[in-house]
Amino acid sequence: MSGNVIPPLSSVRHERTFPRFTAAQRWEHALLLLSGFVLLLTGLPQKYRELSISQDLLSTPERVELIRQIHHIAAIVLALEALYHFGRILYLLSKRRLPGDLLPTWQDVRDAGHMLQYLLFLCNDKPKFGRYNFEQKVTYWFVFFGVLIMGVSGFIIWFPVFFTQFLPGGVVPAAKLAHSTEAVVIAIFILVWHVYHVHIERTNLSMFTGRLSEDEMRTFHEKEYERLTAGSVKVKPGAKK
Amino acid sequence: MKRLRIYLIVTGVAVLLVSGGFAVSEAAAGSRSKSDAAIWQNPSFQAENDACLACHSQADFSVQLESGEPLPLTIDPQAYAESTHGFNAVTCVTCHSDIEGFPHPERTAKSLREFRLDYYTVCQNCHEEQFNLTLDSVHQDALAAGNTDAAVCTDCHNPHTQKRLTNPETGKLLGYARLHIPQTCAQCHSAIYDQYKESVHGKALTEDGNLDVPTCTDCHGVHNISSPTTASFRNSIPFLCAECHTNNAIMQKYGLSTDVLNTYVADFHGTTVVLFDKTFPDQPTNKPVCTDCHGVHDIVRAEDPNKGLAVRENLLARCQVCHPGATANFPEAWMSHYIPSPEKYPLVYYVNLFYKFFIPAVLGPMLLLVVMDVSRAMINRYRKKTPPAESAGELSQPEPQEAPAPKRTEPISLSEENMPEEPLTEETPMPEAQEELPAEEPPSAESEAADDSKSSDSDKEETSHD
Repeated sequence: MSGNVIPPLSSVRHERTFPRFTAAQRWEHALLLLSGFVLLLTGLPQKYRELSISQDLLSTPERVELIRQIHHIAAIVLALEALYHFGRILYLLSKRRLPGDLLPTWQDVRDAGHMLQYLLFLCNDKPKFGRYNFEQKVTYWFVFFGVLIMGVSGFIIWFPVFFTQFLPGGVVPAAKLAHSTEAVVIAIFILVWHVYHVHIERTNLSMFTGRLSEDEMRTFHEKEYERLTAGSVKVKPGAKK
Repeated sequence: MKRLRIYLIVTGVAVLLVSGGFAVSEAAAGSRSKSDAAIWQNPSFQAENDACLACHSQADFSVQLESGEPLPLTIDPQAYAESTHGFNAVTCVTCHSDIEGFPHPERTAKSLREFRLDYYTVCQNCHEEQFNLTLDSVHQDALAAGNTDAAVCTDCHNPHTQKRLTNPETGKLLGYARLHIPQTCAQCHSAIYDQYKESVHGKALTEDGNLDVPTCTDCHGVHNISSPTTASFRNSIPFLCAECHTNNAIMQKYGLSTDVLNTYVADFHGTTVVLFDKTFPDQPTNKPVCTDCHGVHDIVRAEDPNKGLAVRENLLARCQVCHPGATANFPEAWMSHYIPSPEKYPLVYYVNLFYKFFIPAVLGPMLLLVVMDVSRAMINRYRKKTPPAESAGELSQPEPQEAPAPKRTEPISLSEENMPEEPLTEETPMPEAQEELPAEEPPSAESEAADDSKSSDSDKEETSHD
């Protein structure tokens, strides 16, 4: 807003918004959120069985079975989601249309260094980010590998008899340990990192609305904003790029 | 029968007279010098018993019961004197209290078993505690259900010969008593005894006289023996075995691990069983307890070539009982009570090591960054507040110094006129800023953004980015 002088006579002000996530991406996120939440909710009591709340929940064999079944159903949903995501990556890669915005670059390291300087009061300006800043890339890749680890280890401990037909038996306890530890790692990560950045630092609901306002673009993704509006910085409100 | 009675009366009276004198002199001579001497010296005890023994010490003395079984009436005076009852000067009529003289009252028991079942309840007169415990036992349940063969007091403890079983000071079983218990139980449970005496525990007890190993009562209890087939007994088995197998003093003699319980509890099988034991112990679980893999009365050494679980084929066979499709690699999935180390289960060890470093090394800095971010934002906000002209809305913007305050007023005032009642929406860029704005201003700033994005939504919809 600060840069734009709006003609005082215009009665309706158009602010541009910028598409950020497609409907499919938002659905993916919703599925991930929902299945992940259910998985955590049914997984953590199984991990922390000594807690009284878990013991209330898991007190009979039927309940243990039920909780495990819910966990398995959510696991299948998440696995299908992950497979779709992989498939989409491969498809776009084959069409040479995979956007590289999310790939980590040296610029991200420099941005992180810059951010650290800012946080330490060594400089007074925040780094200017592109379409995805380093924090968002960390989020994506952390969850990417987290889901990978959880999926692989989860299916190993779900079907130990099958997997030990061609894998050494030791992978089963290793998968169990990895599954139970990685779950907590992801839970802490989501709480500390992701929830902070999208709800506390600022309310960023673009994953649900699909769009960022011009103001948000300018503030948080300045480079991307400049790239999109190159040559037409002083665009008329409402104009398409 | 009549001749026998007359004979008995005559000899009885004679013996009574003679032995009465002996008894006094014997007791006075201090042949019993223990603490019970006071009772023992009571001449009436010996006199009373001798009166009975006058007849009942005859060899092969018995009467025929209606069932045809002979009811043996012979008491070995020597054995009785050595028994704990004899030692403690318990008179015959203490238990046989209905006998006051001769002729004895008539018996109605038709069989030997019936006679014993009629009689055993007298034990509670002195041994009330133990007797009451037996009322909760599986034997008593069986008896109540009509099984007259179920063990009663006198089946395990012959009242005429039973020696002292416990140390009077500690109340613990004496060594010979522990050694003897399996034979006592074997009177009925002989098939189990045959298994037990071949097991690692039973062999040590019966062949080597090793008192470290469990005898029947260590697992099953003594007088209130509970049913070993209930879910609650099964769920408690890990803790039963753990009483010895987590006792380092015993285990180190045999080079055995004391980690068996915690490694079991840490794994799939154990967590569930222990959970049930804690919450609803009566819930049956299909997860294995110690005995499902190691056996019950036939437990062998882990190294035993035929049944030992350290032999991979034997373990696989056990796994396949519950995991039918299990193949050769499968048993390795169970860590065999080992704690992972670079030698045993290295993969598990290194995964654990990885997370030990990964969690503090990655999540720690993330948390630190977030904390720093919060503090910088708060410090910015504090600094902003001091110069009063500044707009708080700019708090987290990159260049706070050059606040374009004059320019701002225009769009704000404009939108305020046009759409002041627009609701707040989630499009608001900086939520923390809301509270800081002066009361009249915030709706305008936000509604502006909200309205703008709404109106432009329609034109922008198709420019979706992939």
